[in-house]
Amino acid sequence: MANKKLTIALFSGSVDKLTAAGVILGGAAAEDMDVEIFVLLQAAFAFKKENAMTNDRVAEITDKKDDFLASLKRLEAPHWTEAFRTAKEMTNVKIHICGFAGKVWNGYKLDDFIDLADDICGIGEYMTAAEEADINLFI
Amino acid sequence: MTTEELATLKADKTVDARGTSCPGPLLAAKKAIGEIDKGQVMEVLSADEGTRRDIPKWCNKKGFEYLGTVEESGYFKIFLRK
Repeated sequence: MANKKLTIALFSGSVDKLTAAGVILGGAAAEDMDVEIFVLLQAAFAFKKENAMTNDRVAEITDKKDDFLASLKRLEAPHWTEAFRTAKEMTNVKIHICGFAGKVWNGYKLDDFIDLADDICGIGEYMTAAEEADINLFI
Repeated sequence: MTTEELATLKADKTVDARGTSCPGPLLAAKKAIGEIDKGQVMEVLSADEGTRRDIPKWCNKKGFEYLGTVEESGYFKIFLRK
């Protein structure tokens, strides 16, 4: 039986949403799903080499940001980049950086982004992948 | 399997994932399942409430046999057969 397909339009560059994406990726990895992630606008910021580990912005319940980040530490939750990496090791995950998004954050080459990124692509590729997916998420 | 049967069941492999939160235990189970043979029993130790619901569903999807869960003090022992 062919693996189920998951596509994610990953827009958010905030650690809370990226952490949630990492948890979902873990679930997909456990089930051997084929995953394609399209890194759009703000997410491309978080994927820049100089930002990935230092970015600590959160999108929601921002007044509790310190509590949230402390809880992630207390629970020994992996950093989102680590969760993404684990999923890549365990199942077929391809991460595409949207070319336009990259340029917004002065990222023109694949090398400007963390090594989780597989390539830079256009939106057409996302449309094609999403059409064929069993599950499509916007995060 | 009954709780009594599970209590005396000897697992061929034990995965201790008590230090991790969801989806850690599920991923630990996924990694470990490749290390046992078909017919062998694996137990997953998890302190995560979600895992006791996830593992049976995962077994069902992957074609493994979920045997049951024993609740210990502060964690669960979840048994399955490959």
